[in-house]
Amino acid sequence: MDLSDLNSAEMQKFYSEEQQRAMVNEMVSKLTSECWDKCITGTPGNKFSSSEHNCLSNCAQRYLEVSMLVMKRFQGMQ
Amino acid sequence: MDSFSNPSSGSSHQLSAQDLKNQLKNQLALEYAQQLLETVGRKCFEKCVTKPGSSLSGSESSCISRCVDRYIEATGIIGKALISGPQ
Repeated sequence: MDLSDLNSAEMQKFYSEEQQRAMVNEMVSKLTSECWDKCITGTPGNKFSSSEHNCLSNCAQRYLEVSMLVMKRFQGMQ
Repeated sequence: MDSFSNPSSGSSHQLSAQDLKNQLKNQLALEYAQQLLETVGRKCFEKCVTKPGSSLSGSESSCISRCVDRYIEATGIIGKALISGPQ
C-alpha cells in the first residue's frame, strides 16, 4: 500500500463507517452522562431500581423527541 | 515515504489495507476506552467520595465498584433506547 491507496474507494468506505460509529458512540456517551446525572440521584446500588431504569430509557427517548422539536421550531422560523 | 514496515506482513515490508484498518480500529477503540474510563472515574468519584479522607474507606471502595457496573449498564440502556427510537 502506498499513500495514494489511503484514498481508495475501499478506504473511503472504511473511513465513512468508522466516522458513523464514532458519532454514535459520542452521542451515547454524552447522553449517558447527562441521563446519569438526571436519573441516578442516590448512591449506586447492586442493581438499578425500576424507576432508575425507566428514567434512563425515558431520558434517551425524550432527548430524541426534544431534538426533533427543536429542529421543527427552527424550521418554523425560516 | 511510500512504504511502511509492519511486523505482520513478513517479507514484503508493506502495510496492507487490512493492517491499516486494524490499526485504525484499534486506535479508535483505545481512545474510546480511555474516554469512558475518564468519565466513569469522574462520575463515580462524584457519587462515592463525598468527603475525601486520608484514604478510601471500604464503603467508598465498594461504592466505586457498584458505580462502575451501574454506569456501564446505563450506557447499555441508553444505547438500546436510542436504537429503538422514540416510542
